[in-house]
Amino acid sequence: MATTSESTATAVAKPFDIVATYNELLRSDPDLTMPIAAIEALVLLLTHEPSSTISETLDLLAKSTAHLKKSIPNPIGLSAGTDLFQRYLITTLQRPGQLGPAGDFKAIRTHLLSNGRLFIRRAKESREKIAAFGRGFIRDGCTVLTNGGSRAVASLLQKAADEEGGPSAVRFNVIYVLSSISKDIEGPSGEPEGMETVRALRAKGVPVSTIPESAVAYALGKADMVIVGAEGVVENGGIVSRMGTYQIGILAKAIGKPFYVVAESHKFVRLYPLGQYDLPIEQHVVEFKTEEDIAHKSAQQKSVESDADRPVELPLEDSVDFTPPHLISALITDSGVLTPSAVSEELIKIWF
Amino acid sequence: MPSTALALTPGLASFLKSLKTNPIDTSIENLVSLLKRRQIRHSRSCATATAYLLLRVVSACRTSESAKLIERVQSVGRRLMAAQPREMVVGNIVRRVLGLIRDEAEDDREAEFALSEAGSESQPQTPRAFDDSSLPLDRDMLSLRGEGAERSTSRPPLTSMFSLLSHPEPEHSLPSTPGTQSPNGRLFSPGQSKDVRAEVLEGINEIIDELGQVDDQIAAYALDHIHSNEIILTHTSSTTVQKFLLKAAAKRKFTVIIAESFPNNHEATHATISGTSLGDDENLTFDSFQKPLIAHGITVILIPDSAVFALMSRVNKVILGTHSVLANGGLVASAGTRVIARAAKVHQTPVVVVSGVYKLSPVYPFDFDSLIEYGDASKVLPYEDGDLVDKIDVQNPIYDYVPAELIDLYITNLGGHAPSYLYRIVSDHYRKEDISF
Repeated sequence: MATTSESTATAVAKPFDIVATYNELLRSDPDLTMPIAAIEALVLLLTHEPSSTISETLDLLAKSTAHLKKSIPNPIGLSAGTDLFQRYLITTLQRPGQLGPAGDFKAIRTHLLSNGRLFIRRAKESREKIAAFGRGFIRDGCTVLTNGGSRAVASLLQKAADEEGGPSAVRFNVIYVLSSISKDIEGPSGEPEGMETVRALRAKGVPVSTIPESAVAYALGKADMVIVGAEGVVENGGIVSRMGTYQIGILAKAIGKPFYVVAESHKFVRLYPLGQYDLPIEQHVVEFKTEEDIAHKSAQQKSVESDADRPVELPLEDSVDFTPPHLISALITDSGVLTPSAVSEELIKIWF
Repeated sequence: MPSTALALTPGLASFLKSLKTNPIDTSIENLVSLLKRRQIRHSRSCATATAYLLLRVVSACRTSESAKLIERVQSVGRRLMAAQPREMVVGNIVRRVLGLIRDEAEDDREAEFALSEAGSESQPQTPRAFDDSSLPLDRDMLSLRGEGAERSTSRPPLTSMFSLLSHPEPEHSLPSTPGTQSPNGRLFSPGQSKDVRAEVLEGINEIIDELGQVDDQIAAYALDHIHSNEIILTHTSSTTVQKFLLKAAAKRKFTVIIAESFPNNHEATHATISGTSLGDDENLTFDSFQKPLIAHGITVILIPDSAVFALMSRVNKVILGTHSVLANGGLVASAGTRVIARAAKVHQTPVVVVSGVYKLSPVYPFDFDSLIEYGDASKVLPYEDGDLVDKIDVQNPIYDYVPAELIDLYITNLGGHAPSYLYRIVSDHYRKEDISF
C-alpha cells in the first residue's frame, strides 16, 4: 500500500507508513539515492507526527528508523541517511546559535520540514561536484572500466563526454561490465543494469564496449583505470557495492590498475565489516543444496508464506559485496578526492 | 633591476637582495623569470623566494579588505605557478598565505560578532551571561586551530557531510556576512582591517621561520629512527636527510650507504660526502659550516644507484629526501628514487621519507607523467658526441613519481605519519577553497 505524499496530506488520520513512503520515494524518482530517500521519508514522518519536544522527536526517529531498517532487505544505504539526519538534529541542537538549545526547537523543525526538496536538489548537485572533481581522472586516450548502475559514475562519465568538442575535449573509451545475474523484472526489456548509461554514452560519441563479468580479467589489460560506484562507504574506507565489484577490485590490484570509487559523502555509513559475510544483510549467494533439499524447499514454500519475524532476504540480483579499503586507490566524493582512511575521519566528525 | 642582479649570479641570493630595492612588479617579474629559467631550483629556495615575495606583496597592498588582498595574492600566485608548474612548493606557499588571510578575516569577523553579542547579552553584567557567549566561542577557536577547514560559531553546519542538510544561506558566502545577522552588517572597520594585514604579515614571517627551522625540527626525530650499528641507505644529497643523519651521528655509530644519482646530482652528492660545498645559492640558506658525516666517524659508502638492488638485502632502513609530496601519499623525488623504493619493497626494508610540511601539496596527481621534469640531455650524452645524438633519442628525467604504497613512513616537522594520513595534514594546512585557485 503506497502512501504518496499527496494522499498523506488528505488522510491525516491514517497511520504513517514509513516503509511504504521510502519505497515510493525510491520508485518515483530513479535519480534518488537510498540515503536521501531515507532522509526524505523521515522528513515526511516529522510533518506527519506533530512532536513538540526534542526527546519526543528523537525517540520517534529512532523507532521509525529501526522499523525501516528491519523491513528493507539492504539497509546499509538507508542507514547512512537516517544516521546523518539524526546526527544533524542532535548536533544542531547542541550548538549555540539560533537553532541551538537557547533557540527555538520549532525553528530547526521548520527548517527541516520546509527544505525537503532542497536536500534532494543538493544531493543531486553533489553528483555534479563529484563530476567536477573526477574530471581530472579521465584523460585523453584513456580507457575506463566500470560496472553496475551507479548514477554518480554515469554523471561523471557523461560530464567528461559532454566536453567533447568543447575547448577541453576528452576522448576516452569505456568498458562496461554488465552483470549476468541482474534480471530487472520490472524493467521494460529485462536488460541488465547500466544499459541506460551505455546508450547515453554512445549517443554522446563515446565508444563503449560491453563485456560480461567473466571477461573482466581479460579486458582489464586494455583499461587504464577502474571507476565504480558504491551503495555505501563503510568506516574503514571499504565500499559496499553491487555484487562483482570486489572481484574487479582484486583483479585491478593484481594487474596494477588504479581502482577509484565515486560516491557522495552522504553515503558514508558507520559500519565496520570485517569481511564479506559480516554485512548486516540477509543474502543467500552461496547456498548448498542436494536434490532432496530442493524438493523439501518447494514443498515448504507452499505451506509457509510469510513469517513476520524472519529478516527480509535480499534477492540475488540485488546482492552486494564488500570491497576492502586496501584495494581502493582513492574515493572521489563531493568533499574532494579522499584516501580510504579519510572516510573514518569524516564519520568521526559527525559522530563525536 | 639589472644593476643589482648583475653583480651576483641570478638566484635566490640575488633575488632576495633585489627584493628590498626593486618595485613589486619588477620583483614579481624577476621571480617569474628566475623560476622559468630554473635559476631558482630546489624546493626550499623556491618556497623561500615565494614567501619573501608575498611578504612584500601583502605589505605593499594598501587595501582595507581581505577579499582584495586574497585576489591580489591569488593573481601573483597564479603567475608564479604558471611560471614553473612542477615546483609545487610555490603553489603550497601561496595557498598557505591565502589560508592565513582567510583565517584572519574570519577570526576578525567572529570576534566582532562575539563582541557585539556579548555586548548585548552581558548588559546585566552577570558573569553567567558572559560565560554563555564566550565559552562556545573558545571551544570553537580551539577546534578551528586543530581542524583547519572547519569554521565559526555562526555558520550552522560544520562538516561536509552535514552540508547536505544545512541551512541554505551560508553555502557560498565567504566574503559576505555569516548566516546569523551580525548587528553591524559591514565587514571591517578600517582600524581592524589594518590589523588583519599585520596579522597576515606576521603569519608569513612564521612561514619563513618554519622554512628555516624545518630541517632541524625533522632532525629532532632522528634518534627515534636510527639505531646503533644500522645500515642506512640514502639517495642523492638532500640537506634534510644529511641533517637527519648528522643528528643521529652525534650519538650513535652506524653505516650510511649513499647512492649517487648520475647525471643530475652526483657532483652534489660527492660534495656532501667530502664536506666541500658547491658554490651555489644553497650556501645562503643552509649552514655549510656543518662537518660531513665522515668527520663524525660514520662509515660512508658511496655507490652508483644502479647497485642499489644488490646491496638492499643488507640495508636496515632507507631514508629518502623528496622534491614534493602529493595529497595521496605519493611523492615526486629525484630520478632513481622509485627504483630504490621498489627494491626496498622487494626486500621488505622500511622506507622512511623526510620532508618538511611545506613540500606537502594538496594537488592530487591525476597525471603522473606531467609531474616529471626532463632536464639537460647533454648531461647523459655530451654534445661532443654529436653524430650519436643525431641517431638516438636521449632523455634525462630529473624526477620520479613514487606511489604511496612503496612508502612506509613520512617524517615531517610535525612528526611521523603514515602515507594514508597525509590527507589530514593537507586539510590542516590548506583551505579547501584554495586548492584550485
